[in-house]
Amino acid sequence: MSFLKHPALRRPLLALIATTIPCLALAETPAGYPAGYAETIAKAEAEGSVVVYANTEHAAVEPILADFQKAFPKIRVDYIEIKAADLFSRISSEAAAGALKADMVWSSAMDLQFQMVEDGIAAEYQSVEKAAVPEWSNWGDKIYGITYEPVVMVYNSKVIPYGEMPDTRASLAKWLQENKERMKGKVATYDPERSGLGYFAVSADAQNSDDLWPLVTAFGAVDTKFYTSTGTMLEKISAGEHAIGYNIIGPYAYLRAERDPNVKVVVPKDYTVVLSRLAIVTQQAQHPNAARVFLDYLLSKRGQTVVGNEAHLFAIRPDVTGKATIAGLTAEYGNVLKPVAIGPDLMDAIQPMPRMNFFRKWADALKAGK
Amino acid sequence: MRNDFWRTGVVLAAALFILAPVGLIVWQSFLTDAFFSVRAKSTVDTYGFVLSDSGFWSALRNTVILSIGMVVFAVPLGSLLAFLMVRTDMPGRKWIEPAIFLPLFMSPMVLAFGYIVSIGPSGFWSVWWERLFGAVPFWNVYSMPMLVLVVALTHVPHVYIYVSTALRTVPSDLEEAARVAGGSPLTVATKVTLPLVWPSIAVSAVLVAFLGFELFGLPYVLGDQDGRLVLATYLYKFNTLLGRPAYQMMAVVVIFIMLVTLPLVIMQRRMLKSAQRYSTIGGKATRSHLVPLGKWKWVAFAGVLIWLYAVVLLPLSGVALRSVVTTWGPLVAIRDVLTLDNYHKLADLPLIRRSIVNTLILAFVGGFASLCVYALIGLASHRSRSESTKVLDFLVLLPRAMPGIVAGLVVFWIFLFVPVLKPWVASLGAMWVAYTLVWLPFGLRLVSNSFGQVGRELEEAAHVTGAGQARVAKDVILPLAKHGLLAAWLLSFLLYAREYSTGIFLMGQGNEVMGTMLVSLWNGGNIDVASSLAVVNTIVIAGGIALALRLGVRLDA
Repeated sequence: MSFLKHPALRRPLLALIATTIPCLALAETPAGYPAGYAETIAKAEAEGSVVVYANTEHAAVEPILADFQKAFPKIRVDYIEIKAADLFSRISSEAAAGALKADMVWSSAMDLQFQMVEDGIAAEYQSVEKAAVPEWSNWGDKIYGITYEPVVMVYNSKVIPYGEMPDTRASLAKWLQENKERMKGKVATYDPERSGLGYFAVSADAQNSDDLWPLVTAFGAVDTKFYTSTGTMLEKISAGEHAIGYNIIGPYAYLRAERDPNVKVVVPKDYTVVLSRLAIVTQQAQHPNAARVFLDYLLSKRGQTVVGNEAHLFAIRPDVTGKATIAGLTAEYGNVLKPVAIGPDLMDAIQPMPRMNFFRKWADALKAGK
Repeated sequence: MRNDFWRTGVVLAAALFILAPVGLIVWQSFLTDAFFSVRAKSTVDTYGFVLSDSGFWSALRNTVILSIGMVVFAVPLGSLLAFLMVRTDMPGRKWIEPAIFLPLFMSPMVLAFGYIVSIGPSGFWSVWWERLFGAVPFWNVYSMPMLVLVVALTHVPHVYIYVSTALRTVPSDLEEAARVAGGSPLTVATKVTLPLVWPSIAVSAVLVAFLGFELFGLPYVLGDQDGRLVLATYLYKFNTLLGRPAYQMMAVVVIFIMLVTLPLVIMQRRMLKSAQRYSTIGGKATRSHLVPLGKWKWVAFAGVLIWLYAVVLLPLSGVALRSVVTTWGPLVAIRDVLTLDNYHKLADLPLIRRSIVNTLILAFVGGFASLCVYALIGLASHRSRSESTKVLDFLVLLPRAMPGIVAGLVVFWIFLFVPVLKPWVASLGAMWVAYTLVWLPFGLRLVSNSFGQVGRELEEAAHVTGAGQARVAKDVILPLAKHGLLAAWLLSFLLYAREYSTGIFLMGQGNEVMGTMLVSLWNGGNIDVASSLAVVNTIVIAGGIALALRLGVRLDA
């Protein structure tokens, strides 16, 4: 240990020890975070809780909340689940009354989430994990993508034998027209007029390619049923009442396929739209530090591992491995994945006139098939 | 003249309670954006937009058909059921009674889903039918006639509660006299009993028609796939149709629903014009005797069983089956997919226990608190001939013209934007206020109907001997009307226990209720857990009711 006596080595070493000891005392500070972060955590713990308004169902989010509790036992998460459109109503009303309770809003309605940024509800915060997530997944340090969820097709392999199910929009359109009688009433998808998410996904389809429209015509030809909820669609596909589900959100589809071996997932080979559940920390947050700590946790390697591998919501962080992660998906499907860009363009989806035009085109295409 | 000051006070408070939300809706309907938005300007164009939308008219047509169907089927069946249960010696009445309430506390969405699992195209009853008869079932669970049938049959209990409550206060000496004079059971029922309970039947008919106008869950699930909309689901469409929620459109639709209620109220007033002739609780004590049905009693029994089969066994067996399998339908063998996982998963959600406790508190305690409110308003308008109480008569029906989710949103707004109320937004208290408002017409009608049955001479006798109004209420009216009060409490309990949409905006941390949990699980695609929770929900509440009935909290106590 004689080198300790060497003054040139001794000073930096002591300095290192001096800076490490306080970090050891606050064992919660995740490795690699800046020194000042301990203070954020201390403040967050003093705040004691974080109020999250979100639309991800309790059962899916439970492992995330439980693990966060383990990592930060002194910060309680008050998680309030509300459907996307109602969530928007609630937030915008509360914000207008100056009584916003939410410290964080986390929702899969990407367009409405961005509207909140536009309305000045989101606060700017540069996450300490920012460098570890894809650059496109955050906008202006105000809104962060937490998940990477492909929009897929689903079919029941007892009705459509393996190998027969088409895997592009063009081939599906052709196949449906050829099997018109057999598939009558057997296809299910979202009703874009009655489902915000359904519209968002299908309008993203239309932006990617014109192949959507012959498919819509084929939908008309087979008397497709249009739904407002994923749950009902998957349930009926599983029961054999329907054979094909188009534009099903990935996590739900995979979860179902896991429970019911007859349900198979198809990731479209022409292109696959990828959505993300977006989180914002609010301007009016009463627990701003706790909200930041929760956001950083969601983006951290630990948090993302739970998001992907336990909640099955598809982790967006590239260094997390597993089936339900961006890494797993990219390895398998590579360049067909088309994540929806996070930025002001998201709000195009909630402008009344383009929507009305889209609905008209949709109705015309359906009618053409009948 | 007695001091009517408190009456006016209560009537004014009640009017404010009702008019504040209604006023907010009227205001919102004339704006271009949310009333709290800086972008909002005044306009009347929204009315034109809705009226020129063909979707509105087809939703209106469907709603009217459903509403009429409910009155035509549910009112006679519910009245008949009440007569059989209260007035005849039909076998099995003891255990049938709790079963009658079963359809009332299943969330309509779960009920509808139960029908899909049991008699839908892949339903297991349908599969049995096909194996048995070798033909595809003749029914289509998603068709309009089926919807009318399901909706009508599941609303029989609403009518039952009103009519049975009234029947229990009708002395049986008149029926006996008719029987002694040689009347058959049918003659007795139609010539004697029916006229006596006519006011209650009329009230329940109007209320059921109202329920028809705000139906949501059943048409939402069963009409989903074909886009068959009713007014409440049409209204809900404006939540997403234009991108951001279009409150002004929803407000306009609500106002149309309110306008439709006007003729219903006038109709009800006509029917009840001579209601006072029917006060039936007199000073004489009478023992009630049952009408012997003779050989008809087994026919009646079979009829009740068929109804129970249709509204309880079919949907409940569907949900129960779904709760113990991973999937279902003709493509799988049940023994391959059996599992108890769905129940294990329930235990993994800490929330579930909390939601059960919250539901019981809100339904039991909150239901009782609402009953007190209804009784107070009922007493204030009891035997009052002033103009203000007549107006109140109309007003109380208005809240029901708002579908639950709209009422919840409006109460949320009021709590949010009225400074003194602001601290209580998103509390169990705010939720209770919304529930009380939404179910006001039902509770109040039940209570004031019972008050109306108390003989005027008893009250006057008490007054003459020097009792004040409070004393008369405490010692004469309330004890004599206890059937109605208990029935109102039971009704509130059942309705609060399954209520879902009203609470969406008022939900805060820790006040989740089962209805909300169920529907969010179900919407989120977690039908496994939703089904097992629905079964637990049913067992908890059915157990509670069976216990209460056994312990003597009887409607005919």
